[in-house]
Amino acid sequence: MFQIAGILLWLVIIPYCIGLLPAGLMAADKRNPGLIFLMGYFMMWALFGVVTIPVVLFVRYDNFILASSCFMSLSILCAAAGVYFAYRRAGSIKELVRFRRVSWRGLKQSVTEMSWAERIEWSLFLLLLGFQLYKAAAYASFDGDDAYYVVVSLIAQQADTMYTILPLTGRHTGLDIRHAMAVFPMWTAFVAKKSHIHATILSHTVLPFLLIPLTYLVYFEMGKLLFDRQGKRQEIVARRTSGVVRTRKGRAADNRDAAASRENLPLFMLLMAVFQIFGNVSIYTNETFFLTRTWQGKAVAGSLVIPALLWLFLLLQRSREQRDVIGKKRQRNQGLWLMLVCVNITAGICSSIAVFLVSILMAVTAVCLAFVERDIKILFKMGAVCIPSAVYVLAYLIVGYGYLLK
Amino acid sequence: MWGIFLESVVIFKNYMGFHQHRYLAFLYLGILLYLWFAEKNRHRRAVFVYAPTLLLLLFFCPLFRKLFVRLLDDSETYYRLLWLLQMSLVSAYGVIRLCAKHRRIGTALACGVIILCGDYVYDSENISRAENAYHLPQETIDIVDLIEPEEGRITVLVPADLIYYIRQYSTNIELPYGREMLIARWDYHHPMYEAMEQAEVIETKSFVELAREYPCAYIVLKEDREMTQPLTEYGFERYGQVGEFVIYQDME
Repeated sequence: MFQIAGILLWLVIIPYCIGLLPAGLMAADKRNPGLIFLMGYFMMWALFGVVTIPVVLFVRYDNFILASSCFMSLSILCAAAGVYFAYRRAGSIKELVRFRRVSWRGLKQSVTEMSWAERIEWSLFLLLLGFQLYKAAAYASFDGDDAYYVVVSLIAQQADTMYTILPLTGRHTGLDIRHAMAVFPMWTAFVAKKSHIHATILSHTVLPFLLIPLTYLVYFEMGKLLFDRQGKRQEIVARRTSGVVRTRKGRAADNRDAAASRENLPLFMLLMAVFQIFGNVSIYTNETFFLTRTWQGKAVAGSLVIPALLWLFLLLQRSREQRDVIGKKRQRNQGLWLMLVCVNITAGICSSIAVFLVSILMAVTAVCLAFVERDIKILFKMGAVCIPSAVYVLAYLIVGYGYLLK
Repeated sequence: MWGIFLESVVIFKNYMGFHQHRYLAFLYLGILLYLWFAEKNRHRRAVFVYAPTLLLLLFFCPLFRKLFVRLLDDSETYYRLLWLLQMSLVSAYGVIRLCAKHRRIGTALACGVIILCGDYVYDSENISRAENAYHLPQETIDIVDLIEPEEGRITVLVPADLIYYIRQYSTNIELPYGREMLIARWDYHHPMYEAMEQAEVIETKSFVELAREYPCAYIVLKEDREMTQPLTEYGFERYGQVGEFVIYQDME
């Protein structure tokens, strides 16, 4: 019972409440529980990285106790601040938990509005998701890297120390910078410690139940953007109200588009689920990592962090599109920029290589966006987002290769 | 430079599973080509068309590979650059766009292609029914439960089959050597490992001397492991047996 309460607190309640904080920096119509939950997770992991990495680098003894105490205080503080500001925005507790399109009644309405075909498609997707979760719980996936990643979490949980004991043998060791800065296993250890669950059970059996749905939540949010019924409707309404004359054929096409946008989402999710299950073309693909090493930082980087970046790119460009197409005023999207920073830091806690990968993706996409927008400012903005990654890389190089300077 | 380019081609082929006759990559490349012509939204074009194409060009660029490997001091992880392509996301989006007029038939066909060209992840030989909540072999847990001290840590010598798992259950068990010895390409050498795993028949006298250097409180051996003399002649006592593994305790 105590274990379930601990899991609920640290894997559901705290991240959600933290997510309320950056959600306040976004336009009201963009907020929804899924987005807040994702924002909460990325902000929480970023906080964990900011607190834990310096402790790993500069404190040698009982460093896990120090890092987990600081992180616990900071996350509780952020969660409380999130709830407080959300309450102030909403004006009452009732308003705080009510979302225009995601209330129970709204969900029921959405289901009744769906055609039978859509219902079957959603059911098929949920079936595949359930199948993946069942496989994650009932089947063990052997991976040699667990001898490092899972054990390093267990050492932190049982010995209160981070990266001073070699996980493979148990002997004392110096700082291995390549692994030490990727502190995702320490977050696993933190949750294990707080919920009194053995870190190996948490990694192999509990975390897939969080990380698999969380990944699909990113795909779902992305699908909503790609096949956005609301955006399509707004676009159509804007065309009509702005006096653009549409022929009967054009109007029929508009209506078809709006209906099709809604119907595309379950098909997109279904395809994504099939891709994950059959994407095992080699042991290297991110799809294989996603379902066979779900709990490892590198799998989180490949399947959750990188798609989240793409999602944020699309979300950021959406406000530009809305401004261009329907003449909406510039929307509040500081929360999205903050999220972009948090996702970058999260890449750093997942794996040190992920920082390089994400920086490459940021650079390439920034160049492409600057090119299509004819706006060089995008490069500077994206560059500013990468500052924490640059600090990370600098620390990595100084600690890892500093001896060359002596 | 040509050599480096060819290395990248090999990495790409291995990643995409061409050597195992998996051709899911062609679905992705086809969709990418289709999006080059069909995607009109400039932002999506930047994220789903230009960026992946540029990343593919970078992946095959020898200079870029040289820089990447030099900076990370690791050539084994270069394939992870292909994670940035997000093949499944781009393909799923492209398929739905491509089949706009016959979405359901198109999706069903695409699922068929994915199933035919891909590989079912749960078929892997590394996936087996979980024996417990730890997802570790039950024998490992039973052995550790038998020998783990109430306080402090002990060093235990175990066969290669148990090396990956034993410390995932308890960190109170230390090992003379770890997983690093089992990966041939890492090229580590360890006299204890050589005596334990590489000798066809264990030379008991030198083996016991080495084990006592750590000192190993217990030695776990497979039942059928051949030795020149039994361990019991060198101050060890048979402590118990779990499955095919026999546990010996050092009484000296």
